[in-house]
Amino acid sequence: MFNQINKSIDSAIGSGAQYADARILISKSRNISSKDGELEDFNNSENMGLGIRALVGSSWGFYATYDLSDKSLIEAGKKAYLIAKASSKVPGNDFPLADVPIVQDKYVTPHEQNPFKVSSTDQIDLLVSSTHEMKKLGSSIASGRLNFWDTEKWFGSSQGHEIYQNIIESGGGISSLSIGDGETQIRSYPQSFGEYRTGGWEVIQSFKFLDHVERLTEESKRLLTSPQCPEGTRDLILEGSQLALQIHESVGHAIELDRILGWEAAYAGTSHLQLNKLNEHKYGSTLMNIVADATLPGALATFKYDDEGTPAQRVDIVKEGIWTGVLTGRDSAAIAGVSPGGMVRADGYGRLPMVRMTNVGLLPGESSLEEIIASTDDGVYMETNRSWSIDDLRLNFQFGCEVGWLVKNGKITDMVKNPTYTGITPNFWGSMDMLAGKDEWVFWGTPNCGKGQPSQIGHTGHPASPARFKDVRIGVRG
Amino acid sequence: MKIWENLIEDTKKIIPSDVQCEIKMINSIDSLTRFANSHIHQNVEEEMTDLYLTFHSDGKTTNLNFNITSLGSIDEVVKKALSEIENNPKDSSWPGLASKENSYDGYRNLSPENPDLRAQKVKDFIDQGGSFNGAGYCSSNVSNVFVWNTNGLSSSDTATSAFLDGIFRSETSSGSSHLGHKTLENIDGEKVGQEAYSIAKESQNPQDIDPGVYEVILGPDAVSTILVFLAVYGFNAKSKVDGTSPIEIDTQQFDKKITLVDDPHKEGALNFKIDASGSPKAQTEIITNGVPKSYFHTRRTSTELNEKNTFHEMFGWGDSFGGLGTNLYLQPGGISKDEMISNVKKGIYINEFWYCRVLDPITQVVTGLNRNGSYLIENGKITKPVGRLRFTQSFMSSLGQGNVLGVGSENRFADSEFGEGILNVPMLHLKEFNFTGGVSG
Repeated sequence: MFNQINKSIDSAIGSGAQYADARILISKSRNISSKDGELEDFNNSENMGLGIRALVGSSWGFYATYDLSDKSLIEAGKKAYLIAKASSKVPGNDFPLADVPIVQDKYVTPHEQNPFKVSSTDQIDLLVSSTHEMKKLGSSIASGRLNFWDTEKWFGSSQGHEIYQNIIESGGGISSLSIGDGETQIRSYPQSFGEYRTGGWEVIQSFKFLDHVERLTEESKRLLTSPQCPEGTRDLILEGSQLALQIHESVGHAIELDRILGWEAAYAGTSHLQLNKLNEHKYGSTLMNIVADATLPGALATFKYDDEGTPAQRVDIVKEGIWTGVLTGRDSAAIAGVSPGGMVRADGYGRLPMVRMTNVGLLPGESSLEEIIASTDDGVYMETNRSWSIDDLRLNFQFGCEVGWLVKNGKITDMVKNPTYTGITPNFWGSMDMLAGKDEWVFWGTPNCGKGQPSQIGHTGHPASPARFKDVRIGVRG
Repeated sequence: MKIWENLIEDTKKIIPSDVQCEIKMINSIDSLTRFANSHIHQNVEEEMTDLYLTFHSDGKTTNLNFNITSLGSIDEVVKKALSEIENNPKDSSWPGLASKENSYDGYRNLSPENPDLRAQKVKDFIDQGGSFNGAGYCSSNVSNVFVWNTNGLSSSDTATSAFLDGIFRSETSSGSSHLGHKTLENIDGEKVGQEAYSIAKESQNPQDIDPGVYEVILGPDAVSTILVFLAVYGFNAKSKVDGTSPIEIDTQQFDKKITLVDDPHKEGALNFKIDASGSPKAQTEIITNGVPKSYFHTRRTSTELNEKNTFHEMFGWGDSFGGLGTNLYLQPGGISKDEMISNVKKGIYINEFWYCRVLDPITQVVTGLNRNGSYLIENGKITKPVGRLRFTQSFMSSLGQGNVLGVGSENRFADSEFGEGILNVPMLHLKEFNFTGGVSG
């Protein structure tokens, strides 16, 4: 494969590119969905191709093709150069590239059972039996899904990188939807849209779906007759997976350096963060310690090298509430004068690599969910995301959860439906006053992060444990 | 297309007579020139040829998809599919393959647009912005689709599209514009740039206003957001099958001023004239004078609901999604933008919505924000730009009876959260829209 990659790179460099790198990918995926005890969709997918990017002045040119013949690979290198060169009609300052180690290496995701070598019957049976049980127990729509990815990547650059990686990811989840008079209520496990990790079939086995079908069905039905979440300002306790999405939206995207530099301004937006405030800006309370760590075993965004050949690493993002780090690529890091963090990835061979969150997580505290609830006089505990929306500076957000529980005088009392909360990023994080510890710290994964044009879907991780936030506006309704 | 013809010839030789098989191929060249900080920074092109194969045998179904490189030999793929299919449970809702009579020949051998022309369009846009910071993209696409099945159906179609979408930003404001057409040469870069610049200029130094219920005028991009949510979560027949659709056919659910059709044959329509079963699409009434007339059906949903198929199956989206119209046209009214503004006593003009999410599918209560140009209108005149607002509003109610005060006279292709080029809409004037938060939350 590296011979083929180098043909394309040589062609781009020979045409006039300052730098070029290329990836050949073989990507396999399996998607299974089940509804009400029946198989709804079973799809195996496989594709293979090359994507090459060439740097000319102030622009990347990128060309992707499924045709891996020598003639096509050489043509692809030329096209990447010509596309980049066409950009000179509207030029900017030349892009510098930060130095990274030039390595030749191999990496395979540690796993016990490759999900593509496990009988599909076992995988289908797990979903069909889980959804069958929920339907039998009274769920209006019982659904489940499993998704597996096995991605082989060969990366080479004009600087001499030759890296092979085989990334294996597995995940899924089940949901019970109850339909009432003009409303729906849902409960999901392990989280809404499922939970995803790097690893094999053992990831799915660890979820033990069948142990949760009764609770999900009962809670989704009970929500229909539960009172609405009260409106007002109260203490808010967030379960780990909801806090993971809160981190993703209000921290993870805000710290992407391409956004801060304005490269995503027209679509995903920019950021409320300004580089000249790095190491000064107060992001949250002193309990807030965020790291971006692509080396966490089993987390969804764990790898050994990113799609620019930069080694995976752990970078401090927020330390004791102060903003200290950003997510970078070789170009953006050089412009900002920071070290490249190995955070550039692409969605398949056909997309240009871009800054992507790795495992951006909140380090655990020293409390526990039990202690947090016991020390709350008047609050709401919210579990499992149902909706999310945030502005393009990553400041003004509103989240909805599947279920809320009133907390009074240190005890959980009533279930409430349609819980929502809203806030402004630094105020919200500044109000975090209790944080659960390592025993409740989970490597939550998000497999559906959209960014870029053309659109790319990224897989990101967000380790988190439950936490409490003071005086949050809750219960917003239309 | 030679690749396709060879594949089908090879497949015909090896498919057992008791197996139903459907093969779809999408061949496309997608190109996109992206700019930020007023220069082009990313410029990409992808050529893809993806295959989607469905096999049905002994009451069971399996789906495989490959790109043409990973396919290898079709002989081995068929063997693999027939071996895998044995592991699957019975497919009780298998709707069958499209019939041979549905065959359609629309393939045209077209070349992609040139990156130099895209760069020129970007330059035309940027040149309108003065000292403001420009960002956005110019894209072009040529797509071919082919469908064959063992009933003898053989269909093909070709579609092209081009878009220029950009914003200008000042220190305190931003303004956007978006245009789409079948060909890049027909996109007026200067016009898009002038519109975006004008909005950004007029939006400088926005002021906060109190949240509450306001009369609104919605620009085409904001209108398309409402309609695409109703299309995906309401008119998609899969949501009806699941029991989560708020749409009731032949019931006056919307204002009489709302008429929506899906028409792939309308002059300038950008998307395919066949659906993913290979069947030709016809003009379909979706809402007529405020009355829902049809869901978007696929083979499976029409079988499950025992309703006529409208042929809205999507290429590459799978059965669990359902159906969606991709050539939607909201009938214009006769009111110009200026006239619409002059009819407002106190209200807000919204150019674009942002990050909209459904809180409940049945009520279609959605939360989201405004961006890229919003103004307060008082006594028929724009009086000041306004800042960030969060709305929490039922999209069903927003177009409900009596809530649509006016429909604009000029349609355009608008962007949406489910892709561009699928909605061609005018501006709307709505009586009430619920804003639940301002800049401070």
